[in-house]
Amino acid sequence: MAENDRLIFFWGRECPHCAKLHPIVKEASSELETPITELEVWHSEENANLMRSYGDIIKKACGGSLGVPALYNERTKKALCGMRVTKEDILKWARE
Amino acid sequence: MTKEAMARKKLWRCNVCNDIHYGIKGPDVCPTCGARNAFALIDYPEAMKVIIDRGERLDSVDKLLDVWEEFAEGKPFRLNPDEAFVRQLAKGELENERNHGLKYCPCRITTGDFEEDLDLICPCNFFIQPVYKETGECWCGLFVKR
Repeated sequence: MAENDRLIFFWGRECPHCAKLHPIVKEASSELETPITELEVWHSEENANLMRSYGDIIKKACGGSLGVPALYNERTKKALCGMRVTKEDILKWARE
Repeated sequence: MTKEAMARKKLWRCNVCNDIHYGIKGPDVCPTCGARNAFALIDYPEAMKVIIDRGERLDSVDKLLDVWEEFAEGKPFRLNPDEAFVRQLAKGELENERNHGLKYCPCRITTGDFEEDLDLICPCNFFIQPVYKETGECWCGLFVKR
């Protein structure tokens, strides 16, 4: 898998919504050919910088500001954001 | 708040009780002693000395919970009744303060632009968030509509 072809789950260690979404992301990931890469952003500046590099698209998905949990598809350049993301949303976003 | 407005903020000191205000102008009435038209411009180094470090720190989960309860008092929103959830957010904010300098929302991520990131300090101005209008909760769910 190319570095820029990943499905990424950006999450924060102390974010309760991320913790709730985590098992849903894992379940969706297990059904995909390309597993979802999980990147924690509050304790890794490298991961935070990667998220910021996709900031314009993720901000729109989050309703204005960068937020977690967020998912970014490097191939389609589409993002999902927030606690109300469902497994079906993730599968659709990944397979598009 | 726009960067232009931020740039116009200055420090003001009440000449009666030494209250310090940070804003475009000083309050007409001092909220501490009630004096009218008492605020004069002061510079940053002097203001820091006037404030005096009293040793008060909002550095524990319980203290943050007290602050948030007080903040929500009499307002159209309240603290989320799920205490375990609220405590997890408080821990995250304290962790962010230790690692990143300010109590940023753990459900956001800083942009790297310090002034823009001031909007991420909790409690943020969640009234303007689409998610608050749609669901009645701030982005992280700390505050919910009554």
